[in-house]
Amino acid sequence: MKKIFLLLSLFFLFSAIHGFAADEEFILEDDPFAVAETASMADPLESINRGVFWFNDKLYVYLFKPVARGLRVIPEPARISVSNFFSNLGTPVRVANNLLQFKLTRTSSELARLLVNSTFGLAGLFDPASSWGLDKKDEDLGQTIGHYGVGNGFYLVLPILGPSSLRDLIGRGGDSFVNPLPYALKQEEVVGLQLLETENALSLDKDTYDGIRENELDPYLFVRDAYAQHRAAKVKE
Amino acid sequence: MQFIKRVPALLIAVILLASTAVAATPGPLDQARATVDAVMAILQETHLEKQERRERLSATIRARFDFTEMSQRILALNWKNASDLQRERFVGLFSDLLERNYIGRIESYSDEKIDFVKERVQGNRAAVDTLIVTKSVEIPISYRMVQKGPEWMVYDVVIESVSFVNNYRSSYGEILKKDGFEGLLARMTEKLAELEQNGNPTEP
Repeated sequence: MKKIFLLLSLFFLFSAIHGFAADEEFILEDDPFAVAETASMADPLESINRGVFWFNDKLYVYLFKPVARGLRVIPEPARISVSNFFSNLGTPVRVANNLLQFKLTRTSSELARLLVNSTFGLAGLFDPASSWGLDKKDEDLGQTIGHYGVGNGFYLVLPILGPSSLRDLIGRGGDSFVNPLPYALKQEEVVGLQLLETENALSLDKDTYDGIRENELDPYLFVRDAYAQHRAAKVKE
Repeated sequence: MQFIKRVPALLIAVILLASTAVAATPGPLDQARATVDAVMAILQETHLEKQERRERLSATIRARFDFTEMSQRILALNWKNASDLQRERFVGLFSDLLERNYIGRIESYSDEKIDFVKERVQGNRAAVDTLIVTKSVEIPISYRMVQKGPEWMVYDVVIESVSFVNNYRSSYGEILKKDGFEGLLARMTEKLAELEQNGNPTEP
């Protein structure tokens, strides 16, 4: 009997606490699908970040975008193959980070993809593995560090590369060690290929950023918050 | 004889089935699919005038979205503190902005395939998971819906784990903190005027 009383009072205590919290999030209380806490990132360097964002925006509008638009004369299947090729080269990073998080099924799936796509997929130009049910399991070192409980630090906008965070910048540095390209090529060739990869991806994209920069009240905030949410979800999966 | 005994039970079962068939309204997934199909059908009608196409798209989409619920969630506490007039103005401006923003962009997705993966229903809330399959990528999009009478209405769209409502809650939240409610409304009005003036600058 005592136990029941204890349980009941605990229950009321919790529901009281819940009621209190519900006042703040009064709209979310009855919603099983709402994400209770909004992922956001600290942004102590906002004024510098906004400067870099402005620079990247101009770079996009006057250089990257026109080039990407020019690339669209190349038939789409060819550009998809280029994108598959680069994606295949990214396998070491994904394998390493799936392994570092002890996600063994995902690790073996990535290895199988590498094997299938490098052979039947003609050196990665095609992606037969996906049609066999082996989807890409995206992981990077930023996600791995996050997986072990380390927060974002703060938001950073990198020149040319775009949105990042202290954690993801460090992760990027670490990941570059397992990237096969620098071991095989000269530095300027690596940079050239990275630019090609970016331009190719922009040519395939449906002008997502154009929509944001034209339509949002504050594109900087919109991109920052989308990045924060996206990374938080990636770390959790 | 066994059979005769069972007849009443069978009859009852048949009647029950028939009545549920009549009473059952389409679930959230079917309703979302109906709207998406209608949108695709409008996009495929090539002879339509631009203005007419816009209007028909707008009417179809607005019938499936609950902009008031969406605005409440975006403004959160600020909604509670706003006056009725401010709320009304926000809902109006926000839905107009979204319309200008997205109707132009839908058109570039007109020949992609959309898979309706599954629906999850809990009480009067539902999540409908879909997958846009383009030639190069698959984009998971989940619609969050609330039941209003027989209709399931969309109040949030989650694209690759990025919730639309959460995104606006934080970016508008920051503008609210700096400029106040009237300031936000002024900026929205200004943006809308700018977009109207430029027509539709997003090129394919």
